[in-house]
Amino acid sequence: MNKLFKSLAIGATTVALGMSMSAGATFAADFPDRPIGVAVSYGAGGATDFQARIVTMVAGNEDVLGQPIYILNKPGAGGRVGWNWFATEAEADGYTMSAYNIPHFIAQSIKGGVSYSADSFEPIANWGADPAVVVVGKDSQFSTINEMVDYAKENPGKVTLSGAGLFVGHHIAALQIEKATGAKFAYIPTKGGGAAAMKAVIAGDVLGGINNLSDAFRAQQAGNVKILGVADVERNAEFLPDVPTLKEAGYDVDNASVNFRGLMVKKGTPQAVIDKLAAKVPEMFAHKRVAKRMKAGGSPMKIMSRAEVQAMWAKRQETLKELLAGL
Amino acid sequence: MTAFRLQHTISSGIVFLVAAIITYISFTQEPADAFLFPRMIAIFFISLAAWNFVRALTGVAKVGVGLDIVEFKNIVPGLAVMLIFMFFAAKVIGFFLSSTIAFMIIFTLYDPAPLNDGKAWMKRLIVTVCFMAVMYCLFALLLKVQTPSGILF
Amino acid sequence: MEFLSYFGGVFEPTAFLLLLGGTIGGLILGATPGLSPTMAVALLIPFTFHLSPTQGLILLGAAYTSTVAGGAVSAILLKIPGAPANIATALDGNAMAKNGEGARALHLSFLSSGIGGVIGVLLLIFLTPILAQWALAFGPSHLFWMAILGVTVIGSLDSKSFVKGLLSGCIGLWLSMIGFDDNLGAQRFIFSDALTGGINIIAALIGLFAIPQVLDMFAKGRSNSVIEAIEVPKQKFMDSLKEISRSGRSLSIGTVFGSIIGLIPGVGGQIAGLVAYDQAKKFSPEKEKFGTGHPEGLIAAESANNAMVGPSLVPLLTLSIPGSPTAAVLLGGLIIHGIFPGSDLFDNHPEVAWTFINSMLIGQILMVIFGIYTATWAARIARAPVPIMAAAVMVLALFGAYSVQQSMGDVYVMLSLGVGMFFLEKFGFSAAPLVLGLILGPIAESNFTTGSLIANAQNGPVEYFMTGTLNIFLIVLVLASVFYSFWSNMMHGKAAKSEGATS
Repeated sequence: MNKLFKSLAIGATTVALGMSMSAGATFAADFPDRPIGVAVSYGAGGATDFQARIVTMVAGNEDVLGQPIYILNKPGAGGRVGWNWFATEAEADGYTMSAYNIPHFIAQSIKGGVSYSADSFEPIANWGADPAVVVVGKDSQFSTINEMVDYAKENPGKVTLSGAGLFVGHHIAALQIEKATGAKFAYIPTKGGGAAAMKAVIAGDVLGGINNLSDAFRAQQAGNVKILGVADVERNAEFLPDVPTLKEAGYDVDNASVNFRGLMVKKGTPQAVIDKLAAKVPEMFAHKRVAKRMKAGGSPMKIMSRAEVQAMWAKRQETLKELLAGL
Repeated sequence: MTAFRLQHTISSGIVFLVAAIITYISFTQEPADAFLFPRMIAIFFISLAAWNFVRALTGVAKVGVGLDIVEFKNIVPGLAVMLIFMFFAAKVIGFFLSSTIAFMIIFTLYDPAPLNDGKAWMKRLIVTVCFMAVMYCLFALLLKVQTPSGILF
Repeated sequence: MEFLSYFGGVFEPTAFLLLLGGTIGGLILGATPGLSPTMAVALLIPFTFHLSPTQGLILLGAAYTSTVAGGAVSAILLKIPGAPANIATALDGNAMAKNGEGARALHLSFLSSGIGGVIGVLLLIFLTPILAQWALAFGPSHLFWMAILGVTVIGSLDSKSFVKGLLSGCIGLWLSMIGFDDNLGAQRFIFSDALTGGINIIAALIGLFAIPQVLDMFAKGRSNSVIEAIEVPKQKFMDSLKEISRSGRSLSIGTVFGSIIGLIPGVGGQIAGLVAYDQAKKFSPEKEKFGTGHPEGLIAAESANNAMVGPSLVPLLTLSIPGSPTAAVLLGGLIIHGIFPGSDLFDNHPEVAWTFINSMLIGQILMVIFGIYTATWAARIARAPVPIMAAAVMVLALFGAYSVQQSMGDVYVMLSLGVGMFFLEKFGFSAAPLVLGLILGPIAESNFTTGSLIANAQNGPVEYFMTGTLNIFLIVLVLASVFYSFWSNMMHGKAAKSEGATS
């Protein structure tokens, strides 16, 4: 009797488990059954915004997600507004994703004053990597990064460098350059993102600037700026094969400031949904129409899977903690 | 002191109070460099508010029509509908359904036609449905706005 | 005259259809509360993926021009400004509509938009190289003084009391500082979760203008809500044309201020309409009529906000620097097609650049035609019975505020500001200076912060902010504007006293 009861109980549990699992599976199979939103923490027209619009443009295709992805702009304070909103108000159901920018949100969470950290989010996949570069106006007195650093050493705090905000990739690069060279720069965070920082360089408001490789490449093509160095471990062969890395110029600056962009969901999103997105989204990024548009726009791509991104997040978290500890 | 002057004094007093609170917050919060600009504005704000308050107290400033008690009574039900929509209905029963209901209630509340007039009800219903249909086409279908759906719509 | 040879491209069947669609769609999107031109253009970007670069740009350009003008429709008929550009339009335009002159207001608004717009685009065509240098001349210190110059008009803008105008401006400036500080990332004045993102300007606009109006309609109650039967005269197009041709002063004030302000990166079209409105009032012999449904203010505001469209694209097309949020979206639209604005655009893709510019010229004309054509029909909206109007404006405000960022927080902010504004208005405060403060606050502050940081690396703030021709010129303008405000306020006070009137 007891045995029978036990087996019955086990049977019931199995059935219940099976049902709940199949319920989860159907949920994942149905997902997505309505359009998915991607919250971008920067304004419409910025690099993150238009790249997000390109990489999600084929989402509606039947072989990709089968539902279109729309972009929601939540700009402000170097991304803090958007990620704060995502961490506190968005629903953890996979229908609201957010575009992440590394190292921005990790650095901001280490500095505090925001309601998110790397643990608040689950990465889905990475679409691009945009290294920070050092730019100067086309008529600048500096032609190499060494000239600029030497000038800064002689005139501490006099070399103004514009960038998109505090504790974004540009600022991290500036901090790393200061640490590696021992020179003191005046980092000027501008309101209005990379575009405003670039305007300050072109107009001569500042002596130099740190900006995205993609934006700087375009400005260089237009004949408005000179690019002095790339803050990455190797040169960018696709767009700037002739510009040396800072390491080649003799300064110990690694790729911690490279701006990685990708999609993430909120922690607490059902695992089945995460798995489905993690499987489908990299395919979407790799779509040949996406690649064509990204290349045309001068935006370097770097597709990484969920596991790779998780490892990258963890590594950045460590490096940034160390770098920002002294501040 | 007339009721009108009293109203002015109270309203200017409230503005002055708000200015005082803002000034206090601006000068006590850190980091100082982020609050530099708020402090500059706060000084202007509180000086102007103080001046305005003195003017109201002495009866110099009489711009504006003031509040009329009959008008105020008329506003209360409409305002209540808005507040219920905002804090409760939109998220619980859904954005579209609750705005449809809010539209209908406000239309009915301020419609001069009597409540027992069947024709007037018919008109209210038709106008509401037509208007909300346009809203749905514009915002949900054309602009793909994802409104909070609550338990219904 | 290079541009003339590319006119053919505009009239190719597909291109022309897109231009037509963009114009009509833009008018509708622009008239939708909560949808600013920036958002409207961003919404259209995905459609351009399937088009050639030229076609895509034609669509975006047409949408940009007509959304700016379309915003006037909801500003005039519903007193919900579609975008900051249309605030000044709402002041006199809505008063005209309430006087039964909605069709006249719409006619004048579209005609002055068209005239201002065409002149703006012509400036873009002929003066681009000169203007580009001018746009770059504005650094943080100059933009700071520009914003302060804007602040000085606050006291005289749509307000019966100078002190209360300034106070309204202060409230606006303070509201603009709520949320995260844009330069340093510090949190300020965040009393509620809905405020973490700061106050969204579009949501605030809807609340400040639409909600007091709704409450005013409630205030009439059901007993006496019978529609005041005003005889609505039929507006003939020829009459509007004649009136416009007699309004040279307001048109030129609007066009000049619109194009100059449009050119300055970062200040952009948001304040062009308000500044032009204020100047038209200062130069007008009939100052006291402003705000009561006077066409002069409407004409100045609308010609200014469309005149700004052409020049605002100068920094984008020549230097790849987006001068306004909408220009930033257009830049995205270009980059997606692998076209980089700058010398590359005019040297290697002249057909794209010139067809785009030409299409904006033709787009202005199409916009006027469609606007006028629908005006008589649309003006009936303003004649809807009070209870329907109250309910409709309220629901539109809710949807508009929500759709800006799909956030309930914005709805809360919209309603709270609106209800607050209703009570403030009863005591002589007004929404226009408050909004101007809200817009100018961040411009003044961020340029002050950036400027101070740069100044500290150079020779100190005094030299940075106070020397240089442009700085001194702007400071003189600021002082002149402050002096004029005090003087006219004093004169006005004296005149009022001598008449024995209490104001």
